[in-house]
Amino acid sequence: MEPLIKVRDLYKIFNIGSNKVYALNGVSFDIYRGEFIAIVGTSGSGKSTCLNMLAGLEAPSSGVIQIAGKRIDKMNEAQLVRFRRQNVGFIFQSYNLIPSMNAVENVAMPLMFRGIDYESRMKSARKYMELIGIGDQGLHMPNQMSGGQQQRVGIARALVIDPKIIFADEPTGNLDSHTTDDVLNLMKKIVSEENRTLVMVTHDPHIASWADRQLKVVDGHIVETIINETSPIETLIKKETGDAPFCNVTPIE
Amino acid sequence: MRLSDLFTLAFNNLRRRKTRTFLTILGVVIGTASIVVMVSLGLGMSQMMLKSFQSEGSLTIIRVYESYENRENNSKNKAQYELTDENIDMFSSLDHVISVSPSIEVNVSAKCNGYDGSFTICGVSQYYLSQLSLREGGTIPKNDQGQLSLIYGNQILYNSFYKPSSYDSIDVDPDKDTIFITFPQSSYTEKTNKTADESTVSKPVKKYIFPVTGIIAGGKEDWSSNSYNAYADIDTLKRFLRKLYKKALVPNPRTNKNGKAYNYYVYDTAYVFVDSMDNVKEVQNTISDLGFNVSSNMEWLESAQQSLNMVQMVLGGIGGVSLLVAAIGIMNTMMMSIYERTKEIGVMKVLGCDMADIKNMFLFESGIIGLMGGIAGLMVSYLISYIINFFTSSGSNDTVSMFIGYNDGGSLSYIPPWLAVFAIIFAIAVGSIAGYLPAVRAMKLSPLAAIRNE
Repeated sequence: MEPLIKVRDLYKIFNIGSNKVYALNGVSFDIYRGEFIAIVGTSGSGKSTCLNMLAGLEAPSSGVIQIAGKRIDKMNEAQLVRFRRQNVGFIFQSYNLIPSMNAVENVAMPLMFRGIDYESRMKSARKYMELIGIGDQGLHMPNQMSGGQQQRVGIARALVIDPKIIFADEPTGNLDSHTTDDVLNLMKKIVSEENRTLVMVTHDPHIASWADRQLKVVDGHIVETIINETSPIETLIKKETGDAPFCNVTPIE
Repeated sequence: MRLSDLFTLAFNNLRRRKTRTFLTILGVVIGTASIVVMVSLGLGMSQMMLKSFQSEGSLTIIRVYESYENRENNSKNKAQYELTDENIDMFSSLDHVISVSPSIEVNVSAKCNGYDGSFTICGVSQYYLSQLSLREGGTIPKNDQGQLSLIYGNQILYNSFYKPSSYDSIDVDPDKDTIFITFPQSSYTEKTNKTADESTVSKPVKKYIFPVTGIIAGGKEDWSSNSYNAYADIDTLKRFLRKLYKKALVPNPRTNKNGKAYNYYVYDTAYVFVDSMDNVKEVQNTISDLGFNVSSNMEWLESAQQSLNMVQMVLGGIGGVSLLVAAIGIMNTMMMSIYERTKEIGVMKVLGCDMADIKNMFLFESGIIGLMGGIAGLMVSYLISYIINFFTSSGSNDTVSMFIGYNDGGSLSYIPPWLAVFAIIFAIAVGSIAGYLPAVRAMKLSPLAAIRNE
């Protein structure tokens, strides 16, 4: 069993004035297909930077990121866009639906970027909206929907391209606790049923506990990794590889 | 991304901000309309001028005269600069020359119904005659006939006959009225034959009546360079004049050193017909270099057109400035739109929208603004053009024609199809060019903008 994502010695250094700020200070880990990973940390810990670099939105200062056998740290922007179009779904904190499009058009948008014709992309979009449980909301405009509904549209939009990996940046950050549970339930269900890989960033340890595996980030280091022992996928990985997934942990002194 | 999707996206984005889009388009409408109307005025004026020149005489004829300097000069090879048959033949052998017509001009006086008149009979070649536009039913005199027949210029009928006492002019109808023509006395007397010559003077002047084969086209109000002359076939005229003036050939012949009249023809004018307007200048220069005086309507047209080109450029420039302002308006609108949509663009990039697609989407938006502005501007132009022509052709005819110099029914504002097509393409191009910088800026926006939360 090969890891889907391999990260080695990843650094991100910001130059602020003459000071060097280490947003990420050499992290290394593997992620396997079917895992639900939560990257947990406080604000400014480097968790978001890590996610951005995994999704190819930011270039690392040094280090290796390999996704599905491809070195995305070596890609230029046009290649990264193409890579995301083919492999990556993205769920945003503030949903980021296009206000001029209705729900089903929003879901179908990533397929439009692939050049798929109107009829077939609408068909796929409706299928995923059914799956998410908002099949009846297709014609609503984003501003007519509640936050929970909008985020479901966002999830459907991330799923519609049939991605290898889904990245989620504080997907429940703008939702109340009840809706948060619904959305997390939904995401977990999809990950396990459809065998997707989900990488979620959150600051909330409670939300992170939904994941199969948590990576705790403090000051650019991974300081702890928590594996949910009851998770079937983690059991499977342990059985196949004989060990827990690789993760270089630097405990705080 | 599919073109149709790009187009729909761009169109929907414009529709989202109707007022702003409308105002930006309005700028392009004004810009396009001002360019089109200004250029149409220039074109209309130049067209009217061309018409008025054409109505005065053909633009492909060069008139050749003997140079005054060469005439005074008594050098041996004087004949080189005279309009002799040899030189006429030489002109015909030049490139681009279709035909050359010499012209013998005889000033005659005429009488009709008790009114006096005078005009010039021009003996010209068959080709020249065939180029004259005659009233319906008219034919040209045949070559080298025993009987001289004439084509009258239309103005001879209306403006050439006066009552000697009062100078009242009358209209003459050659079909009904008989025109008696008297030829002038010869200025040349052969010294050897002086007595005989005196006897001819005392003879009563003979009056001739010639058949009329045609009238130059045009009524009382139409003038052209042919209106005041009568035309005859040159060979017939030569034959006739030989009978009248014997060895002198023409009424006032030139004489050589011995005081003898030339025994060959020296023509007053030669008309050189050139194959096209574009070659007139070249042929004219060639003949001028040979030592002749030349003139053509083309010269006038060219100088007039040069000054008109200037006017056209100024007018176009004024229109151009307003389109430039419109272009800046487009740029401004697109820039604002990009700032507003920074997040949206970021989301699209995160979700895998190609950089080129983002650029094209914005180019489409500004292109659509250009296209709509161009079409609307063109419609406005047609309306303005119609209004201008309506007022200049009827209402205030006199003042306007005074202002522009002439007005013979042509339209002051003229929008040819190429101008309409050009205007729309130009408007789209202006829109796209103005939108290019904002589009590139949108393309380069960081996808991270999507992640940031305000």
